[in-house]
Amino acid sequence: MFKQNQGVTSSPKSRLLGFATLLGLVTLFVFAFFLTDPDVRLHPTTGEEIGQFDAVRLLYLHVPMAIIGPYLAPLVGAVASVGYLIKRTPWWDVTANAAIEVGTIFCGLVLVQGSIWGRPVWNTWWEWGDVRIMTTLILFLMLLGYLALRRIVADEHKQARRSAIVALVAAINLPIINRSVEWWESRTLHQKSTLSELKIEDLTFFTLMMGIVVFLMLFTWLVLHRFRLGWLEKESLEQEALTAIAERRAEATTNEEETS
Amino acid sequence: MTDDLAPSPTRPERAKRRRGPIAVIVLLLIAVAAVLFVTLGDATLVFYEVNEVVEQREELVEKRFRVVGTPLPGIVETSVDGESAVIFTFCAAGTYADVAHIGDPAELFQPGVPVVLQGEWVSGSLLEFQTLPNAARDGWYLLTDHMVVKHDNDYRTDQDRETDIESCGLKE
Repeated sequence: MFKQNQGVTSSPKSRLLGFATLLGLVTLFVFAFFLTDPDVRLHPTTGEEIGQFDAVRLLYLHVPMAIIGPYLAPLVGAVASVGYLIKRTPWWDVTANAAIEVGTIFCGLVLVQGSIWGRPVWNTWWEWGDVRIMTTLILFLMLLGYLALRRIVADEHKQARRSAIVALVAAINLPIINRSVEWWESRTLHQKSTLSELKIEDLTFFTLMMGIVVFLMLFTWLVLHRFRLGWLEKESLEQEALTAIAERRAEATTNEEETS
Repeated sequence: MTDDLAPSPTRPERAKRRRGPIAVIVLLLIAVAAVLFVTLGDATLVFYEVNEVVEQREELVEKRFRVVGTPLPGIVETSVDGESAVIFTFCAAGTYADVAHIGDPAELFQPGVPVVLQGEWVSGSLLEFQTLPNAARDGWYLLTDHMVVKHDNDYRTDQDRETDIESCGLKE
């Protein structure tokens, strides 16, 4: 899988992916903050300029992060959790943990960055009652709960099983987050989907797509490394346990020899 | 009574658990419950349309509520009871309501850009409403103190954009 004996989490391919991601992020920032136009249009009646102006640039980061944090990462975590509950092998558990740990960071960033965008555009840092913000916040809290649960020392399999169940419970929220703007239109400031209605074009569309691809690469790179780290941790613990058993056996043998 | 000198049986060793993560989980559960309570329990967080608050005016009197609509051209900056305010008319589905918003408006507050206002119905009128070109002038106005902007999902160029912001039209 990778060079475990070196105790490192990188491989030539992952380094290549990391480099490509870094290059993609720089390119994305150039497009998002310099090459694309601000969101400005003329009001058909008043002729005044309206729109989100430069604040729209934050959406090139916000939308990709929102696809990964509150959707893709918990989904990968849930699928891997199902895999664990069926197969009961650590590979699935370590995968679920890696995806959810990275996803939690993205989910937190989505909430913070959305808040920064909301101040100039919505006129508020935070909107209690906005169903999409609230459902995303609940997911974030559940993901934190998942991570906290994994910190509780318990039997390895018991811990993995409990974590898998929490991941599946959290996943129930995913379609609710996605459909919230349709189901409770009168309870959200969030707009309906721009991409599904194709109300975006040209360089704006290209930059957004590039953002999604680059952030998917970043997510893959982070999950890959977190998985490898988790696997090394697991092997290290197993090695410690084996060493301890061997020491106890050696001790017992020595005692037997002394008494006889 | 004799002292029992026999060694007491050792308790089975329980798995050591960290209290920190358990406390964190309890706090997170409380936080989730609080978010659900705030989100679902507060009826003022629902956005009414302008036509709805006009139709349900008698039921909404003396209640705070949220209402979404599109401000019409002719916004007047003034002061009400010594506080800065904006006076305007906004509409939805062809229904109009006059508004006195106390405090600074949103940065992107402009005619044609939908806003969500929070406040209450007040019986009467203000002098400034006489100057508004599209005022409802129906003896009531909305006194609001919270304004957020509800933008659309259209990021196309001018010629391709839908002009649904004008769907309520201007009063003839």
